[in-house]
Amino acid sequence: MKIGVFVCHCGTNIEGTVDTAAVAAASREFPGVVFATDTMYACSEPGQDGIIEAIKEHKLDGVVVASCTPRMHEPTFRRTLERAGLNRYLFEMANIREHVSWIGKDREANTNKSADLVRMAAAKLLKNRPLFSKQFPVNKSVMVVGGGVAGIQAALDCANGGLKVVLVEKDTTIGGKMAKLDKTFPTVDCSSCVLGPLMVDVAQHPNINLHAYSEIEEVNGYVGNFEIKVKKKASYVDWDACTGCGLCVEKCPSRKATDFFNEKLATTKAINIPFPQAIPKKAKIDPDFCMKIQKDKCGVCAKVCPSEAIDFTQKDEFITENVGAVVAATGFDLFDWTVYGQYGGGKYPDVITSLQYERMLSASGPSEGHIKRPSDGKEPKNVVFIQCVGSRDKSVGRPYCSGFCCMYTAKQTILTKDHIPDSQSHVFYMDIRSPGKLYDEFTRRAMEEYGANYIRGRVSMIYPKGDNLVVRGADTLMGAQVEIDADLVVLAVGAEASVGATDLAKKLRISYDAYGFFMEGHPKLKPVETNTAGVYLAGACQGPKDIPASVAQGSAAASKVLGLFSQDMLASDPQVSVVDIKRCIGCGKCIQTCPFGAIKEIDFRGMKKADVIETICQGCGICTSTCPQGAVQLQHFTDNQILAEVNAICRF
Amino acid sequence: MQNLEDLKEQVRKALPELDVVIGWTGGYDPLHATPHFIRRDEDIDKLQVNALCVHNLATYLPSMRGKKVGIIVKGCDSRSVVELLQEKLIDREDVTIFGFGCTGVVDQTKIRRIVGDVGNIDSCEVSGSEVKVSASGTEHKLAMSDVLSEKCATCRYPNAVLSDHFAGAEITSTATFEDGYKDVVEFEEKPEEEKFGFWLKEMDRCIRCYACRNACPMCVCRDHCVAQSRDPHWLSQEAHVRDKWMFQVIHAYHLAGRCTECGECQRACPVDIPILLFKKKMNKEIKEVFDYEAGINPDATPPLMTFKAEEDKITERKW
Ligand SMILES: Cc1cc2nc3c(=O)[nH]c(=O)nc-3n(C[C@H](O)[C@H](O)[C@H](O)COP(=O)(O)OP(=O)(O)OC[C@H]3O[C@@H](n4cnc5c(N)ncnc54)[C@H](O)[C@@H]3O)c2cc1C
Ligand code: SF4
Ligand code: SF4
Ligand code: SF4
Ligand code: SF4
Ligand code: SF4
Repeated sequence: MKIGVFVCHCGTNIEGTVDTAAVAAASREFPGVVFATDTMYACSEPGQDGIIEAIKEHKLDGVVVASCTPRMHEPTFRRTLERAGLNRYLFEMANIREHVSWIGKDREANTNKSADLVRMAAAKLLKNRPLFSKQFPVNKSVMVVGGGVAGIQAALDCANGGLKVVLVEKDTTIGGKMAKLDKTFPTVDCSSCVLGPLMVDVAQHPNINLHAYSEIEEVNGYVGNFEIKVKKKASYVDWDACTGCGLCVEKCPSRKATDFFNEKLATTKAINIPFPQAIPKKAKIDPDFCMKIQKDKCGVCAKVCPSEAIDFTQKDEFITENVGAVVAATGFDLFDWTVYGQYGGGKYPDVITSLQYERMLSASGPSEGHIKRPSDGKEPKNVVFIQCVGSRDKSVGRPYCSGFCCMYTAKQTILTKDHIPDSQSHVFYMDIRSPGKLYDEFTRRAMEEYGANYIRGRVSMIYPKGDNLVVRGADTLMGAQVEIDADLVVLAVGAEASVGATDLAKKLRISYDAYGFFMEGHPKLKPVETNTAGVYLAGACQGPKDIPASVAQGSAAASKVLGLFSQDMLASDPQVSVVDIKRCIGCGKCIQTCPFGAIKEIDFRGMKKADVIETICQGCGICTSTCPQGAVQLQHFTDNQILAEVNAICRF
Repeated sequence: MQNLEDLKEQVRKALPELDVVIGWTGGYDPLHATPHFIRRDEDIDKLQVNALCVHNLATYLPSMRGKKVGIIVKGCDSRSVVELLQEKLIDREDVTIFGFGCTGVVDQTKIRRIVGDVGNIDSCEVSGSEVKVSASGTEHKLAMSDVLSEKCATCRYPNAVLSDHFAGAEITSTATFEDGYKDVVEFEEKPEEEKFGFWLKEMDRCIRCYACRNACPMCVCRDHCVAQSRDPHWLSQEAHVRDKWMFQVIHAYHLAGRCTECGECQRACPVDIPILLFKKKMNKEIKEVFDYEAGINPDATPPLMTFKAEEDKITERKW
């Protein structure tokens, strides 16, 4: 192989602390290298043209570029090689910027290290082989998992773009948290008034197939061709027949069922439709509270239902959907704040969560929009808000900021004043984080126009005094301890990954962070992609996000899906594992460890062997480190290629 | 062994259903036993089971896959059978396991060190407490405790952990996990240079005969071993201690969480390199990290044959 080496200055980024000309000179001595030069900006047009010219002039059949991280420009240079007629895998990149010039100041040491990195890259390149992608057809339909505002937006955008969409929602209705909110910041417009029409669009869109009260059971396949098993949970009501008239709900005598939609502020009937605008508007029986299911008594709903939809024997049903891409939009859930003993740990009824407060404020909530304390139903006058409950607190394992709590607390103080003009809100806060458009103005309005009393400091305890509560905390700006009498305490409880998020991540084969939020492909450049091709993210499942950001991500994910589906055929990545049938002894270890189920057992002339399914393999390399005799090798990262690098650097 | 006759009876009964039963018999001299393949009734009479039966016969099983095989196992050998089952390298329905309570086997190297190179062995008598060897007219009385194999001194599984037939009474063991790893702990505590020097010296003797590998019941790759391959080319054929040592490191890694500490590798080594220490070190780590021991539970999955994004005791996500 004739190798050409191009050592980039990156302006002064590299040249500032690396003698690139010296690196090029050193490179000329490395095995295989026939040409080496330094270049101002390898990635620029003249830089790339220089590479192409050198390939032609010196008849190069392999190229090393020593420059920046391959994350950004490896694709650039691979295309350059292709333009010069070389296979894209006869290219190696040595990262002498992030790994050298940006992290060390000693010019001599940097120059030596850069030369070593080039030596490694050239040694690996000598072992590289041309690799070729295969083409396979794409199923142009998409599954959106989670019907919160992010999922709704993604589903509608995809559907409007002409794709078939399967929307899977685990609750009986779509809408997510936004459906539970009263008004939304910073405009204080009614949440259900803006969300409602979108939900109706979902229900009516000819391209959207909604599976509510359903969950993902199993995911097989790969980008372009996923096969997903969906569990439609038993609702004990035949939804094809149910018209959502609500007669059953009215007549059901069992009134003690848990009301999840109203955040357990009230109870509801055993058969229930969560709220009037629910989509789909279908009844569901909570079997734990249904007297027919528990004790074989009652059965009133079945008697009154005009469409004979009640079915007490209904079972979970499994269906399979074939789609080409998946958007995960499973949102968030609230942190379990009862770990905080200082806030009463759940024993004071008048200490409630922010989301419960939203239900209290909402006209469709259990108190029909009247703020009433849970303990005695009285209207509170002094309302204390505590921010950062389960956010920015290492002691409970939640060091991150939930992002939207500062804003919704300000909103809730405004709404409190609107509902009870003679009330006074007090807010304990750590900092106010309001960087969005019109956001800081909004929090100022809460303080200046609505007279909310903002106290910078943490609360050390809440204790009861008569019918009321006393909130004791620090006012760090005054340097004093404060005690405030409260009729009601609202905790701005932080967000955490939604229940079951990590299980779903495993099924979708995407990564998640230490808190269960899904990991994006790149924190800046791939915010809605994941490390699994064909799986995208939208909304708070990736990290706490307010509605505008969630909606933006929904649209972004949809545009990624539409982009993917703009091609009829996809090219497979040839950087996959391949089994050397001669070396494989069929021990099956790789089959067991492959996290993607990409290896199957085959019979080869009566012998057991392993075989990699190219389209499923993600190139993670787990199998290659499992196989004792190295029979399975990851293309472009074979043992021999890596050993060549090791030997190039560990010379003795 | 006290119940040899019971065992023979069990083998006799089972033999018609089996292609072969593997046991031990007298070897090339009275001090050595050798593997014995019982195919006919008359072979049963030659069966020998005593402290000279050092070989782990499980090593034969993977290559005999597809046949109906009976195998006589000491406690430690039974763990190899179980591990092979765990890895689905043999089929449970094809193996019949004959177990017994084992009181320990000798370490021939220890005998040789005490007795010296004695030439022709005239006779050898083994009892629970003593080995009597008479060679070239001289009689040597060796206390069993002086010639017992190290692994047996701290054995926790003297009875077959899995068997279809069991001869005689079970033996009780009071040894603990810690007892078995005292040598590892002792070695770990030495200064780095001393440890490095030790292995440099020991490994330099290796002649790369691969007897250790071929004796290992779990080394099923055999002809496909990375040690002898160019693609992938992990090791050169140079006679440098670097490659010899690297081979042992590879062997230990490939056996991590699979090695049952039968000690066959070390026993097979013609130059007495204490290579079992590598494997014991790995097993100790495996126990600490995965709370797992190889070859105990036929239904358990060896930890390195699983992939979990998050391991209970490995905290990669601490940022
Ligand atoms: C008290 C409070 C007040 C707020 N006020 C405002 C405000 O005024 N303005 C604003 O911009 N933001 C506000 N927010 C933030 C807002 O709620 C979020 O930005 C928004 O809900 C995020 O939407 P999402 O679709 O990503 O997630 P979610 O709303 O959480 O929706 C996720 C959906 O996915 C479903 N799901 C979850 N897991 C699965 C699964 N495994 N399978 C199938 N479906 C699943 C859930 O049932 C849910 O329907 C507030 C938040 C709180 C807690
Ligand atoms: S059968 Fe169950 S759900 Fe129907 S009315 Fe009776 S208690 Fe309610
Ligand atoms: S590299 Fe190996 S373990 Fe990883 S996905 Fe491919 S076949 Fe599976
Ligand atoms: S681990 Fe290696 S030898 Fe075993 S089946 Fe897989 S490729 Fe074949
Ligand atoms: S490595 Fe040695 S002790 Fe371990 S199973 Fe193999 S032969 Fe036995
Ligand atoms: S048996 Fe001993 S000499 Fe032979 S390869 Fe193994 S360690 Fe080396």
